[in-house]
Amino acid sequence: MIDFQHLLTYLEQLPLLVKVVWILIGFLIIFIILLIFYLKYLRGYLRKKETISKKLFTEYEANLINFLYSQTEEEINEEQQIIVDKMKTCITNKFKRKIFISVMSKLKNDISGEMADSINNLYIKTNLINHSITKLKSNKWYVITAGIKELNLFEITNVFEQVKKHENHPKQEVRNEVQLYFVSLFHFKGLDFLNTLKSPISEWNQIQLLEILQKFDDQEISDITPWLKSSNESVVLFSLKLAKIYNQFQIIDTLLELLNHQSKIIRLKTIEVLNYFQVNEAKKILKNNFKNSSEDEQIAFFQMLENTVEITDEEFIVHNTKHVNFQVRVLALKILKRLNNKKLLDLKNKATNDEDKLIFNYLENN
Amino acid sequence: MNNLKKVVLAEDNSTLSLLLKFRLEKEGYELLIAEDGKEAIELIETHEPQLILTDIMMPFISGLEVISHVRNKLKVQTPIIVFSAAGQEEMVLKAFNLGANDFMGKPFSPNELVIRVKRLLA
Repeated sequence: MIDFQHLLTYLEQLPLLVKVVWILIGFLIIFIILLIFYLKYLRGYLRKKETISKKLFTEYEANLINFLYSQTEEEINEEQQIIVDKMKTCITNKFKRKIFISVMSKLKNDISGEMADSINNLYIKTNLINHSITKLKSNKWYVITAGIKELNLFEITNVFEQVKKHENHPKQEVRNEVQLYFVSLFHFKGLDFLNTLKSPISEWNQIQLLEILQKFDDQEISDITPWLKSSNESVVLFSLKLAKIYNQFQIIDTLLELLNHQSKIIRLKTIEVLNYFQVNEAKKILKNNFKNSSEDEQIAFFQMLENTVEITDEEFIVHNTKHVNFQVRVLALKILKRLNNKKLLDLKNKATNDEDKLIFNYLENN
Repeated sequence: MNNLKKVVLAEDNSTLSLLLKFRLEKEGYELLIAEDGKEAIELIETHEPQLILTDIMMPFISGLEVISHVRNKLKVQTPIIVFSAAGQEEMVLKAFNLGANDFMGKPFSPNELVIRVKRLLA
């Protein structure tokens, strides 16, 4: 007691600043002790939650498998109805619902056929579908994304209009999911979203969409001309990929128009597609535009000439053997070697530039 | 004496493993489930199964390593069916080069798997 009074007297005598520091230290010690207790509680809570989650996962896994193996010719039998009723009660709890959806998703991703259809059926019968539809009305973008993903995975086609409302959502993640929903469930017809899409399609989503489309047996693609004329650049670029993959020879006139598009990347990709189709008519336009084209387009054009060169192109090629761009020069000389080797040797004899001499030597040996 | 044909299933998706276990046991096979490649190798060495079903992508030891172990180290010709996901075409080719007998791309139909298992064990 005397010691405590002595300590208080000592503290009172201290300067104000030191007193404040001591008080702060006291508060910090109390805060750290409380934090340790809180973290201990949190660790215990998370471990308990994980254990419950694992237990529920195993339980729901067994329920799902029982549901699938109870399948008879009826749409839903008595045994299955018991499982449905049990799951209906469980999924009113958000935590349990999340686990049940993850069990179903995990299996749905890996199996197809009748069992996959039964999982879709269970998703509807347990009213999980309504929870997914409710998610579409959320203000949070990630909730909407999850909702669309679930509707897509369990192949719910009758919510098309509700999903379509989000096709121009400000968040790219939502738009990606909408596009995947359209194409996965409505195949080529699902590409109609390209008519009204105002925002860009991400490069990754373009790859995913093309991959999904290639899985379908029916490879009948609708007319892509309106998409090639779209004011949305990414729609045009995506349509150029479609044109190449699905050999859309009938849209060559539209492709020729795109050679004068204001976007450099579209012009470049168009040259690549025209090269793939080996369209000779493109050469005249590209020669006229050549001077004002970017170096990438000039290189792309020469790559095209490698496949489509004719004797009438010789003058243009010879002229560009002195091009400032090294790659264009190499391509021009390479094509000339094939077209008129004598002319190439003439140019070789006249060459004064060391770099050009190296190119000639390379072409001679290759 | 247990005369059931033994099948080792190496698959890290527990729900799929459970589904296939039920399906194949119904067809008269004894299913031994491994959650990863390491466990699969242990089961193969201990039980000497008549068939191996393995996913390509698994924790610790991949499906390719399991095939390589069976063909090159254990030097047995047990039929092997490989499961692969989309985009793993190169892996499937490697699996065939290592000695896999068949493959099924995910998502697959369990009924179709049963047909392939029966064909390989006939």
